[in-house]
Amino acid sequence: MSNLLVPFFLLVGQTEHETAQATADTLARAAEQAPEFPNVIEILHQLSHGQSSIINLLFDYRAVVFATIVWLLLGFLAFLAYRKRSLIPEGVQNLLEWVVESLSNMVVNVLGEQGRRYVPFIGTLFIYIFCMNLLGLVPGMFSPTSKLNTTLALAICVFLYVQFTGLRNFGVLGYIYHLAGSPRSAVEWFLVPLNLPLHIIGELARPVSLSLRLFGNITGEDMLLAIFATLGVSILSFTRLPIGLPLQLPFIFLAILMSFVQALVFALLTTIYFSLMSSHDEERH
Amino acid sequence: MDPKTSVGFLLPLAVGIAAVGSALGLGRAVGAAMEAMGRQPEAADKIQTGMIIGAAFIEALTIYALVAVILIK
Repeated sequence: MSNLLVPFFLLVGQTEHETAQATADTLARAAEQAPEFPNVIEILHQLSHGQSSIINLLFDYRAVVFATIVWLLLGFLAFLAYRKRSLIPEGVQNLLEWVVESLSNMVVNVLGEQGRRYVPFIGTLFIYIFCMNLLGLVPGMFSPTSKLNTTLALAICVFLYVQFTGLRNFGVLGYIYHLAGSPRSAVEWFLVPLNLPLHIIGELARPVSLSLRLFGNITGEDMLLAIFATLGVSILSFTRLPIGLPLQLPFIFLAILMSFVQALVFALLTTIYFSLMSSHDEERH
Repeated sequence: MDPKTSVGFLLPLAVGIAAVGSALGLGRAVGAAMEAMGRQPEAADKIQTGMIIGAAFIEALTIYALVAVILIK
């Protein structure tokens, strides 16, 4: 995360190399000190004292490792459902069909019938993000979405696909016309120099807001759980026993709800961006 | 005052102030959506979709404050 933020600080104006380095160090230390539940790779990293190069590599890429665990699980689930499929679904197949049908209905409600082609992309995003959020509640695991790298990668995927959709639907000139605010009257043409930069900034701000929203929510939620668990242990520390009060219990239910809502918001906002890029002007006016 | 102490005091306060604004906005938005759903239960699905998107935008402002605080800490 800190590596990723260094360019931002360079852009802001701290061009001196040392200042940027100091900022990066401070950020890295702050990220290390953030209260989090220990996960398997972190424990292995501490046990090996940073000596084993494989564990060091896994530790540096732990968000990728846990994201890989998620998609392997999802792929296995899909394989299970697909292997023994029948006309009258049962068990896993029934569950997955219900999920796909609900997501398909959600997308078609917003985009209309021609939006059915975006269902695989948006549905994958929803299921993937939901499972990554929930992984933080499993003991020994951690949410890949609580690292800015993961969320920014997802948001950039959405950004590129949305821009590509705009180019495909409008053509290059139509795309620029759309970005200029679809001017019709003389006044609107007069306002194009104002509208065009505003729209471009608006487009560029979308991946930032998408990724920061998901990252902030999941990080905040995980930190909250860890802080309350620490509090529960420290209350009973006078007994000198390895026990604690489960103070984080009510917040786990909140965390499950938040995981669902954040995944839904990510998928819904993607749907809205597609609808903005595929709606024709004749329909709007 | 020690700069670190003042930062320690002010950072939670910053999130608190951001949360007040978000809470007022969310209260209005969700209240209006509930009222609309009560008047037109058949349009509940569409209203709920719009409400969740709006709520996400409102809530994002507090999250920005939270992210800033986590990074500055």
